[in-house]
Amino acid sequence: MKIENKILACVDQSHFADYVTDYAAWAARRMNAPLELLHVIDRHPEISTGKDHSGAIGFDAQEHLLTELSNEDATRSKAAREQGRLFLNRLRERAIAAGVESPDVRQRYGNLVETMTEQENGVRLFVLGRRGQSAQHTQRDLGRNVERVVRSLHKPILTITEDFTEPRRIMIAFDGGIVTRRGIEMVAASPLFKGLPVQLLMSGKESQEAAKQLEWAKKTLNSSGFDIKAALIPGDAESIIAKTVSEQNIDILIMGAYSHSRLRSLLLGSKTSDMLRSAKIPTLLLR
Amino acid sequence: MNSIRQDWFSNVRNDLLAGLVVALALIPEAIAFSIIAGVDPKVGLYASFCIAAVIAFAGGRPGMISAATGAMALVMVMLVKDHGLQYLLAATVLTGILQIIAGWLKLGTLMRFVSRSVITGFVNALAILIFLAQLPELTNVTWHVYAMTAAGLAIIYLFPYITKAVPSPLVAIVALTAVAIGLGLDIRTVGDMGRLPDSLPIFLLPDVPLNFETLQIIFPVSATLAVVGLLESMMTASIVDDLTDTSSNKNRECVGQGVANIASGFLGGMAGCAMIGQSVINVKSGGRGRLSTLVAGVFLLIMVVFIGDLVALIPMAALVAVMIMVSIGTFNWESIRNMREHPRSSSVVMLATVVVTVATHDLAKGVLTGVLLSGFFFAHKVSQVFLVRSKSEGEGRVRTYTITGQVFFASADRFINSFDFREVIEMVRIDVSRAHFWDITAISALDKVVIKFRREGTEVEVIGLNEASKMLVDKLSVHDKDGAEEILTSH
Repeated sequence: MKIENKILACVDQSHFADYVTDYAAWAARRMNAPLELLHVIDRHPEISTGKDHSGAIGFDAQEHLLTELSNEDATRSKAAREQGRLFLNRLRERAIAAGVESPDVRQRYGNLVETMTEQENGVRLFVLGRRGQSAQHTQRDLGRNVERVVRSLHKPILTITEDFTEPRRIMIAFDGGIVTRRGIEMVAASPLFKGLPVQLLMSGKESQEAAKQLEWAKKTLNSSGFDIKAALIPGDAESIIAKTVSEQNIDILIMGAYSHSRLRSLLLGSKTSDMLRSAKIPTLLLR
Repeated sequence: MNSIRQDWFSNVRNDLLAGLVVALALIPEAIAFSIIAGVDPKVGLYASFCIAAVIAFAGGRPGMISAATGAMALVMVMLVKDHGLQYLLAATVLTGILQIIAGWLKLGTLMRFVSRSVITGFVNALAILIFLAQLPELTNVTWHVYAMTAAGLAIIYLFPYITKAVPSPLVAIVALTAVAIGLGLDIRTVGDMGRLPDSLPIFLLPDVPLNFETLQIIFPVSATLAVVGLLESMMTASIVDDLTDTSSNKNRECVGQGVANIASGFLGGMAGCAMIGQSVINVKSGGRGRLSTLVAGVFLLIMVVFIGDLVALIPMAALVAVMIMVSIGTFNWESIRNMREHPRSSSVVMLATVVVTVATHDLAKGVLTGVLLSGFFFAHKVSQVFLVRSKSEGEGRVRTYTITGQVFFASADRFINSFDFREVIEMVRIDVSRAHFWDITAISALDKVVIKFRREGTEVEVIGLNEASKMLVDKLSVHDKDGAEEILTSH
């Protein structure tokens, strides 16, 4: 596959897809990168629709069954494909209206996680709704796919909630770890946030080490021409971040994601998932 | 975590229903196959429960049904007749061990040497054998039995036109049992064929002396059972793969079959494997996950243990009708229509597999015949891909032979015969750049040609040995070494 460093927006047939498209279009414009809208059509071969419980098998039972099942699948696939094509085209129009030149659309069969990992090489930034089609009907506040997707990818992922507002102020939740340090470098080098004021926030215990780390981050960003406000606030990360976000009218939060093992997050809960639930703004996850 | 949920609980309702349908169809089959093997019906019923329940967890193909089968029952007939049930149980355990070893050695991949025609032959032979096994129930009997069997078949095939919500084989069994009891007919019933289970199976060691003699008795049977079981299981797995458009883990399935058979042997059951007919029924009824297999096994046991007295009243004619249905559903009727269009060699392979199997009642021998024959046919076909052209050059002093195609044991003679050794010529050039030398026979044929030319005083130059051929030639040939002539003339 050609390495094209595109922005990949994952959409499904829910109203969140509109905002995903908006943010992806915004990022594509700022980064001057090609945009692709991807719709993964889930297939569920493990679920059947069998209504024939007669248990009788006659002449060429196997062949007849095979024909019948594959016809059913074909009909279903065709319907899903056509439906997907229509709504993808609508989203493409939307992206064009938002100023993106010739966005690409693609439909694929399969599983969302697998599809995204396959595509990962040619992608610079993933854009993903934090909730999707199934969450429209449930009260779930974080889509069932998000953690699995984020864990399996190694590129930045912009996760979107409801509504689009053009980002004006961004905040980086900095913990001095490898992931966020690399994130600082990435933000400094990327055109995505160029010219936007950045709030650099570090929480937790105050220490010599933390102050040094923060100073380094500030310097790195400053040298790329960012307007920085840095703060080191002791206390519980989640509540401090939430508070600062609302106080400062932050539009995008940048943070590291899922650096602990799956087992640990199963037992203790994941900080990242908690953050994604409580923060109401788009969040750029660094891996 | 995800795959456990997906394998077990993604299709619960349909899996439960399909499992029930399969369990109802399994009961007559398990009884019938026990009778084929010459053991009490309870041996087959315990085996079916145990294999289905274990394979649900250990197998590599969710949605496939494994239980006591006709293919396996046919192999064990002589062992049971000569040595009794305990040796069968020991052989069942050994079969399981062999299958686990096969799984660890990843022998599932050997299935690629079993061609489509052999598989078709296997399936057809199996269907014929299941049908033939019903004939004893249909000979020397009163007309009542024929009428009952015909009525059973009619119900099985016509009842689905009324409703598909109820398994029609069950309707047939219930109806025929009711008629037989109501009219007080004196015909054979399941109860006459041997003991039915009256309790849950219990763990027991096979009562055989643990010595070399026992091993000598059971090993050949176990080896055949292991091969037949894996063959049918692998085939059924790929059928289910096709039907559901999903993939399966063949090596895990091998190990799973082994574990299931070991468990079956220790619980007083006979060896079993995957069942083509039942798996088709399961998929048709909507079964996709592991739950369907488990439900089939558990439900079978519950029904048999708790309504065993009623099961004993079922007339054999009803079972025969169900088994005829299974045999019709298993047989690949299309293959008969296809015989006219398919290449004759593949029809011969299919028919040979069927004939040998039906004659020996041993599916392993049939498959072996089929595999060998398809190997011969393949070698023959490939040996046809061979062409020699020759042209004289240099004003008749040099002749160039250009060889194209495959040189190996089947084409070596034609290779040698395509040279003219009596031609009076100074030099012969053999261009093999577009040929492949596959084996020792091919190499010695080339040697022979070179040496024969040299004895006529002709210079020989071999050009363009491609890399694959060259390695073989370098390793094996003598023509470019000293004393080449002596070696040839010493023959």
